[in-house]
Amino acid sequence: MTKPISHEGGDVHDWGPLVGDLASRKERALEMGGESLVERQHSLGKLTVRERLDLLLDPGTWVEYGLLADHMDAGLGDRFLAADGAVTGIGEIDGRPVAIAAYDFTVMAGSMGAVGENKISRMRAHAVRQRIPFVWLLDSAGARIQSTSGSTFAGAGALFREQVAMSGVVPMVAAMLGHCAAGTAYIPALADFVPMVKGTSSMALGGRHLVKAAVGEDVTEEEMGGSAVHTKISGVADLEVGDDKECLDVVRSYLSFFPSSNLDRPPVRESKDPIDRRVEELYALVPTAPRRAYDMRKVVHAIVDEGDVLWMKPEWAKNLLTGLARIGGHPVGIVANQPMVLGGALDVNAADKAARFVWLCDAFNIPLVFLHDVPGFIVGSAVEKQGIIRHGAKMLFAVSEATVPKISVVLRKSYGAGYFVMNGLAYEADYIVAWPTAEIAVMGPDGAVNIIHRKTLEAIEDDDERAAKRLELAEQIRANIDPYIAAGHAQLDDVIDPADTRAAIARGLRITADKEVDRPWRKHGVLPV
Amino acid sequence: MAEIRAEITANVWQVVAEVGQMVAEGDEICILESMKMEIPVVTEVPGVLRELYVNEGDTVQEGDLIALIDES
Repeated sequence: MTKPISHEGGDVHDWGPLVGDLASRKERALEMGGESLVERQHSLGKLTVRERLDLLLDPGTWVEYGLLADHMDAGLGDRFLAADGAVTGIGEIDGRPVAIAAYDFTVMAGSMGAVGENKISRMRAHAVRQRIPFVWLLDSAGARIQSTSGSTFAGAGALFREQVAMSGVVPMVAAMLGHCAAGTAYIPALADFVPMVKGTSSMALGGRHLVKAAVGEDVTEEEMGGSAVHTKISGVADLEVGDDKECLDVVRSYLSFFPSSNLDRPPVRESKDPIDRRVEELYALVPTAPRRAYDMRKVVHAIVDEGDVLWMKPEWAKNLLTGLARIGGHPVGIVANQPMVLGGALDVNAADKAARFVWLCDAFNIPLVFLHDVPGFIVGSAVEKQGIIRHGAKMLFAVSEATVPKISVVLRKSYGAGYFVMNGLAYEADYIVAWPTAEIAVMGPDGAVNIIHRKTLEAIEDDDERAAKRLELAEQIRANIDPYIAAGHAQLDDVIDPADTRAAIARGLRITADKEVDRPWRKHGVLPV
Repeated sequence: MAEIRAEITANVWQVVAEVGQMVAEGDEICILESMKMEIPVVTEVPGVLRELYVNEGDTVQEGDLIALIDES
């Protein structure tokens, strides 16, 4: 498009053509990849990039940067690429500004052009200067070959390093809204929160054509890196949602728990749920019979404001629950064992899930609440080969390092290293209370009996008789595991009525709100990975 | 028909409901055993227990069908 020449007819105020031309350029850019590609986007069950922004942002708050960008790739000649396939700008979510980088799949499959990436780089710098969250809406085939030819690639990659520099400074969300590969798979890898739309999104380091050529595997995007893979198996993603709208809603919901940057406290949302509400449902939910399992999710829903929890990675490492909720209007990070799965025992994935979540909350000043019902870590040669030692150490490291207020409630069992990594007293638990059913011990009776009474049990020939004797001896050991012993030593701050749990957590949070911790300076620890 | 499936791999320790029984939301259908824990399997919906696919002593894998509840 060429600019109209004004001043033709001698009119020294010949604005008409200029303003009209500007308007038509903008209109053209707003058409994105054009009608038929927009229709194609819809037919795939996806919204366009601009429809997504309408849903994500508060109405009337969008300030676009670089609407009139176009590609500058030699290989693409005169083709017009609206906004160079990347829509960038600032908008508001719940009245707070966020920086946006949204790929436009209708423009060259949302591929990353040099100009588009410059726009996004500018947004990253803006987000850091302004101390505001960054949200990527990812729907992109990845790098655009025509943008980086040959060895000019040697200069590429700054975008990931810039993202790392932002990590823990401002919240970063990468919403997966399309099939993404390579570059656009590393963006979510480095972000804090990754929701994925079921069926229409995926992420993989290599796209299917590359995979076929490189390793000979014939696989669809969905099979290789769809939401089922990443929310249930790999643990890379945080949540699976049904469609684009649900995805954008959950991004808004997630950000509502976070401050705009690490310099602020999380925003308080007034709640009508009384802070001293007695949670009598817990008597029916949690058995006193120590071997009888229950669903810890129901316990969490019963305790928090309005029963509202945003679970993180709910389909992965289900033996350990992590979720964002509020108590008395204040956001908290919940870490809780799930007795229904593996008896609540910790394994490598559960430890990783907890560590990651603790680091996330600690980075952004979100207090942590630990609900204990854990028999310890799984043992045996299988988990040793998986590196349970270093994965468990990772969780321990994260909990030890965290300087946000940390509240612990020991519901039932909490044995050995399980007790430690769930923020036992020695882990700078700011307020640690236990239920009358709490069993804090180096090991549970069922494990201890086999060690203490090994010879006695081995001497019994009959299997059933031995099993019965084992149970009898275990119960004798259990009688010596008693929260009042810990309380007697003042190793617990209190023993509480389960119905008092919500109020106990609330008062723990209130009295620790201004916690400050001093540690000897170091660049960073040597993290177990 | 509402399906009740095993959420984890476990042994069927006790079957506590029977075919034809009226069940309320939250009632136990059976109790699984895994990692020395007794894990109750409950119905999320009220209705009549039409089919039971497990017996005491069976092993179920995660996702296996345990029962069908007729909500109508």
